[in-house]
Amino acid sequence: MGEEESMVDHAEKLTDRVWSRYDRKEQWTRYGVYLFTLVAIVWAVRDIDIFWPWVWDAPNQIQSLGARMWPPEFSTWNAIFAAMLETVHIATLSTMLTIFIALPVSYIAAQNTTPNKATLWLGRFILVSSRSVNTIIWALLFVAIFGPGVLAGILAVMFRSIGFIGKLMGEAIEEIDRRPVEAMQATGASKLKVVLYAIVPQVMPAFFAIIILRWDINIRESTVLGLVGAGGIGVLLQGSIDLFAWQTVATILLAIVVLVIMGEALTSVLRKKVI
Amino acid sequence: MLEISNLVKRYGHNEPVLKGLDLKVDGSSVVSIVGASGAGKSTLLRCINRLVEPTSGSIKLNGHELVNLRGSDLRHSRRRIGMVFQGFNLIDRLTVMENVLSGRLGYVSLFQALTRRFPQADIDRAFHLMERVGIAHYANKRADQLSGGERQRVAVVRALMQEPEILLADEPTASLDPKTSQQIMSLLQTLASEMSLPVLINIHNVTQARMYTDRIVGMRHGQMIFDGAPKDFNQDALDSIYGGIESPEEDAAEANGPAQEATA
Amino acid sequence: MTTRGTASGITSGRVWKKPPFIANPWVRYGLIALTLTYLFWAFSTLPFDWERISEGLPRAAKIFGGAFPPSFERAELLWKGFKESFQIAFLATLLGVFLSIPIAVMAAKNVAPKPIYLLGRAIIIISRSFHPVIVAILFVAAVGFGPVAGILTLTLYSIGFVAKLLAEEIEEIDWGQVEAMRSVGAGYLKMLIYGVFPQIMPRQIGLSMYQLDSNLRASAVVGIVGAGGIGGTLMNAFGRYDYDFAFAILLMIIGIILISEGVSGWVRKKVW
Repeated sequence: MGEEESMVDHAEKLTDRVWSRYDRKEQWTRYGVYLFTLVAIVWAVRDIDIFWPWVWDAPNQIQSLGARMWPPEFSTWNAIFAAMLETVHIATLSTMLTIFIALPVSYIAAQNTTPNKATLWLGRFILVSSRSVNTIIWALLFVAIFGPGVLAGILAVMFRSIGFIGKLMGEAIEEIDRRPVEAMQATGASKLKVVLYAIVPQVMPAFFAIIILRWDINIRESTVLGLVGAGGIGVLLQGSIDLFAWQTVATILLAIVVLVIMGEALTSVLRKKVI
Repeated sequence: MLEISNLVKRYGHNEPVLKGLDLKVDGSSVVSIVGASGAGKSTLLRCINRLVEPTSGSIKLNGHELVNLRGSDLRHSRRRIGMVFQGFNLIDRLTVMENVLSGRLGYVSLFQALTRRFPQADIDRAFHLMERVGIAHYANKRADQLSGGERQRVAVVRALMQEPEILLADEPTASLDPKTSQQIMSLLQTLASEMSLPVLINIHNVTQARMYTDRIVGMRHGQMIFDGAPKDFNQDALDSIYGGIESPEEDAAEANGPAQEATA
Repeated sequence: MTTRGTASGITSGRVWKKPPFIANPWVRYGLIALTLTYLFWAFSTLPFDWERISEGLPRAAKIFGGAFPPSFERAELLWKGFKESFQIAFLATLLGVFLSIPIAVMAAKNVAPKPIYLLGRAIIIISRSFHPVIVAILFVAAVGFGPVAGILTLTLYSIGFVAKLLAEEIEEIDWGQVEAMRSVGAGYLKMLIYGVFPQIMPRQIGLSMYQLDSNLRASAVVGIVGAGGIGGTLMNAFGRYDYDFAFAILLMIIGIILISEGVSGWVRKKVW
């Protein structure tokens, strides 16, 4: 195509040029997504089992619940304090115990350390099943097995944490610098010694960061275990709600906020110490 | 005495990186291997301590066949082969002393390795060698706080801790500035004669190869095309080794190759 | 300590120990003692009902025996539960993401005046402090059993997460574009629409997909306290010892979460 021709072409286009933010294909994709979302909204709103008068009444109800909670009632503070301690114990012990299971799992779930394909898939299977089941569902299961109490809670938090810690540790192992590994192999060190000298020091910072992060999450998770009978402050919360003791409920909620904020403050201090 | 005969290495179904290589290194000679990137130098060294699995051929160290060794036999022969790397390959978060002692990992038990309780003889040897290369005062410093030249010294000491029968050095000076790289080269040279240790050095810098080594081996496309004394290494030899080579693809292939192999 | 001797020049008898992880011995041993004391204290004060626990293994055998094979017979109930969970998650994500935009603007230090900023932050902190299950109980208490409580819960949950990250994103935008809009004489809202939103849009879409995924997970559990969805079905199955049905629900939850994780990851990759 000659220079002149394209110039003419260009000039022609200039005259009836329309500006638009997106090209045609993008435009259709966008309309498609909008339409799909709209249809989904209409379907969801019409189909869902909602009694609409209740919805319009919801602000009133929430307000009246709030009114019933005020002022918080502190007479049972020592029971609440004991339950909070139990909550912290559940979170801490389960995080500690998880380490012993999560580390071997992460070792076999990391592509560069796993002994063979079978162990790799076993590791991944453990991680996926642990992560896909929520803590409270694990708690339901363990309450059914071991009865209500802290043991069910500890096990539930552990079983959910294995997937979290194991996955992140596995990724940390996969991201290490391979060169020290090569150097250790060259000295004639056995596989375990290579792991000890070339891999462990490299993943140490990640390890501490992950444990601290999970502990923080586990504190929050432990506050609800009691709702299915697995110990901690949740037991007290459920009990007070059942008795309509809304002012006690308010105190418990306050206590949870304080605990969560304290946990967050502590973890941010620890994180700075480690890194 | 190292005897390599008819060594072949190919990655997958590609053109072989080493095409039937023969090499004999005896006594305490310092041999430099020169060649463009992708000539197969790095693969050659890694075949010797089997970080890379040779496809065929034979490698004998003091009469012991190294190819086809497995498990603890392989580890036992690796202890006898020290290696120094281009990127130092230290464990950054451990102390200099721990890095040095890690050269003994092939000898000590797992418990000793875990608790860092190395035999007194090893610790004495470590201090002795560190003093020899001038890093003893760094013993309790973390390895990543040292400068490049110091780090390479740590790596050399680590290799010597193995009481090696041969020392392999893969581009030991490529990550260093000119002055430090000369220091490291002369260090390797004197250590070799002090300990009557044969040393094989992959090197880019032909001037340094001439200055610090007794023998130069030139490689191109996986084959040996020069073998002789530094004084015979003339412009013709240089041209035949480097002439017309400017291929980054080969460079990349070589860099990826060994890493992939070692992972398996 | 350093006695240089022997003809070969080898220094002998020099000791080396790995420098301890924590240099100060008091702190080091103190921490160890503290940890041990804590473990002892925690284990001794926690109320373990050993008698009940010892029945656990046979009970576990019974439960897992009852769970195999999983029963998909009541497919209608299963479908209804999952449909409701999905509807809750979907509506809550839309509402939450929509509401999180003004709240994020409020909670971004660089575009909001100080009192508004503090209000925005407060909303975010409060909606993040509570586990969604606790929020769900409160809403169930206020508006009764059913999906409304679930939608409200997950909306709040979405605001806490999306608004926080979005506010951080707004605080990190390229300020030059905002100044450019101001310099052409745009008002506050126009400045937001042209100078701020285009910069955070891709992130917002990615976050929405992520939030849809995590709302779907959460919607499975808020049902346990009566806020609608499959969680209630699961709770009932457990309560009635229908372990084969419960196991079927669990398998479905795992499957759906895996699919949703894959889809949301795929969309986020497309958008970014």
